[in-house]
Amino acid sequence: MTALRLQDKAITHLVSFFRKEWSGALLAILILSVAIEMVTSGKPFFHPTNLMTILNNSAAIGVVAGGMTLVILAAGIDLSVGAVMGMVAAVTGYIASYWGIPAWMAILCGLVLGGLIGALHGTLIAYLGMPAFIVTLAGLSVWRGSAHLSTGAQATPKLPSTFDLFGRYNPFSGIREQFQSGELTGVMETFGAFVDANWMGFFRTFQMSMIIFVVFFILLAVVVSNMRLGRYIYAIGSNEQGSRQAGINTRLYTLYAYVLCSMGAALGAMLFLGRAPYAKSDYGQMWELNAIAAVVIGGTSLFGGRGTIIGTFMGVVLIKLINNGLTLAQLETFWQMVVTGLIILVAVGIDIVRQSKSAIKVQQMLGVVAIVLALFAALTPLSALISSVISLHEHNSMMAMQNAGAKMVSYQYSRLLDESGVLNLHTIIADTWMLSLALLALVAGAVFAVIKLNKTLSYAMGVVFVLSALALIAADMAAAAPLLILGACAMTGLPAVPYMFDRARELDSANG
Amino acid sequence: MMKMNKLIGVIAAGALLSSSVYADSIGYITKSATNSGWMMINQGAADAAAEAGVDLITVGPTFQGDLSSQLEVFENLLAQGVNAIAIAPVDSSGIAPAVQDAMDSGVAVVAIDTGVTGAKVTSFVATDNYAVAKVQGAYAATLVNDGDAIIYVTGNQAQSTGQERRNGFTEAFKTARPNSEILEVPTEWNSAQAQEGVEAILNARDDVKMVANAWDGGTMGSKAAMENLGLSAGDVLLVGFDGATDAVEAMEAGWVHADTAQMLYQMGYQGIKTAVAASQGKEVSARIDTGFFLVTPSTAQAYKDLVGIK
Repeated sequence: MTALRLQDKAITHLVSFFRKEWSGALLAILILSVAIEMVTSGKPFFHPTNLMTILNNSAAIGVVAGGMTLVILAAGIDLSVGAVMGMVAAVTGYIASYWGIPAWMAILCGLVLGGLIGALHGTLIAYLGMPAFIVTLAGLSVWRGSAHLSTGAQATPKLPSTFDLFGRYNPFSGIREQFQSGELTGVMETFGAFVDANWMGFFRTFQMSMIIFVVFFILLAVVVSNMRLGRYIYAIGSNEQGSRQAGINTRLYTLYAYVLCSMGAALGAMLFLGRAPYAKSDYGQMWELNAIAAVVIGGTSLFGGRGTIIGTFMGVVLIKLINNGLTLAQLETFWQMVVTGLIILVAVGIDIVRQSKSAIKVQQMLGVVAIVLALFAALTPLSALISSVISLHEHNSMMAMQNAGAKMVSYQYSRLLDESGVLNLHTIIADTWMLSLALLALVAGAVFAVIKLNKTLSYAMGVVFVLSALALIAADMAAAAPLLILGACAMTGLPAVPYMFDRARELDSANG
Repeated sequence: MMKMNKLIGVIAAGALLSSSVYADSIGYITKSATNSGWMMINQGAADAAAEAGVDLITVGPTFQGDLSSQLEVFENLLAQGVNAIAIAPVDSSGIAPAVQDAMDSGVAVVAIDTGVTGAKVTSFVATDNYAVAKVQGAYAATLVNDGDAIIYVTGNQAQSTGQERRNGFTEAFKTARPNSEILEVPTEWNSAQAQEGVEAILNARDDVKMVANAWDGGTMGSKAAMENLGLSAGDVLLVGFDGATDAVEAMEAGWVHADTAQMLYQMGYQGIKTAVAASQGKEVSARIDTGFFLVTPSTAQAYKDLVGIK
């Protein structure tokens, strides 16, 4: 009886988790974090200072993406955020450096400039009916050009320390210094000693960037879910005509969305300046794409009306986590590009399956996970096999071309091998082809099982997965075995999905 | 009638345009108008054209690394009938067919900074990036002990400039310090990427002694990363490439310990000089090496005097 209650509870929690728009992003973050932690042996990925470094570097793009979320929720788009961010950063740094006005005045001017640009965009879109895509595409070009023009595209000297308050300033550094010079007494001294002792382990990266980032998102989430502005933006995004007929001033609230978005870009500029070496007009290039990606990864619909602020937060963190983790893991540059794209696909894929609310879709998704895991495991011997076969083929065809008298630049001959190289390739091919074929058969079997979605077949495939894992360990490729064990779990879990769906529906109706 | 007027207007404008380039004119296709290094090259190009008394038609891409817009600009310049084209290719092999066409039709093409793979050019005016990076790597090796971990901030690895600098540095450094680990921070010539990556690694590992950079935008990004982590000048040594003004200033403040400077101004100046000479039918050298300068704290003043940094 209690086992059943526990199981029901687990199902309820699982269902309520997947009802959240941001579950895809969070799941991707968790999977990726564990994967990176496993790869980066000895280098602490899950270290608090590293996690805070990720948040610190998410701050600027995060605030920009936060503003973008409002516009996308209202079924609009703002392609100019990167250019606006660059312009505000350049102009603010420029007047703070050369006009002799206090830094806080310059910052205020920058934020106002952002608001004015947003008001201009919003007026053109909401009151003149111009398409948002076109207005902000034009803005992308106009503001980037204006930024270069107004500052001569030159870098400023190092900015005044007021800017550090938006970035690298550490609220605990003062206490630490006072402690080190022995100025503290009593409770403060104990606290100072605590900060100093845990400086490298925790407090070192506890900086303003991160604090502003988190506070900004909490405020924005409160505004969007509790205030009229937020409710109206959702209403406009899901049905503009209906909202107007319901008496909402749709034009005014659309205008507000663009003003807030550009001000978000302006605040993002300040956060960026707080960590950057100087101000320059080429900051923020391609940020519009990263911001839109973060919003979409966070589960917000590009057609408006559906999404959350917290989802965007997760989306931004996921993007920066990829950068940070792949750098720490020292993955090769071109692989980083491929992996980044794949992770984004996975996050959005989870979101789409989640929305479908159908047991079969979830089963297929789980099945695809098992197939991909099997494929990755197969790649361990297969990649060696394929690259050897290709190298051998390239060697042979280069020989043929050389004999035919083709002329090539020296480095293009690097594909030619010497005798021992050719021999080496032959041994690799002989060693790997049988295992490769066997694992490919496993992948084919998994595909068949996912198409059929049959209970017995799934369990049988689960067993085959485990057997293949044992075979891999026997063949000295133990590193890939955990992939197959995970795959076995996914395979044997397939038949449980429809049951969980049924049970969740029963529980739902029982609770009214 | 309206249409007719418009047509005449267009023809008149076209005639004006073509007559304006009737004087000796050189097309100059730059890689960037906003990167501080490129601004020095562009200045050299402008000065050389003024000295030679030719029109310099300067065009830059909308953003760094955009091949399609560079190809378009190249064809437009050819159609306008310029006497020679000086170009800094964003893609060494992508630009080759267009260069081949120009050379076949008798227009001299001078490649600046980055070479062309797969087509012959009249002259290639550049620093030998690979050779200079080897000097950078060999000198950097003298600043650390064997076994110390270092970071190398790369440039775009899809471009020959980025590849040559990375390969040159790594080979020379590894030869001198075989037991040192080189951690890489990949970038596409973007100083924010450099700052973020260096910050992540410096925070995770306290055994890193030096950050070497493929260009000085990266050097400034690395310096910001150090400041963000509360490190002071000299805690981790910085090594740059380019000899940009801000990096030389950072050297005087104790942050940067070596910088292999390309003679950027010379690159632009010599490039346009060569293009003018070739367009007048004079014999020009097929490869002009504009040299480099190893800037260290002791030679910084000499370098500043040489290139005119005040």
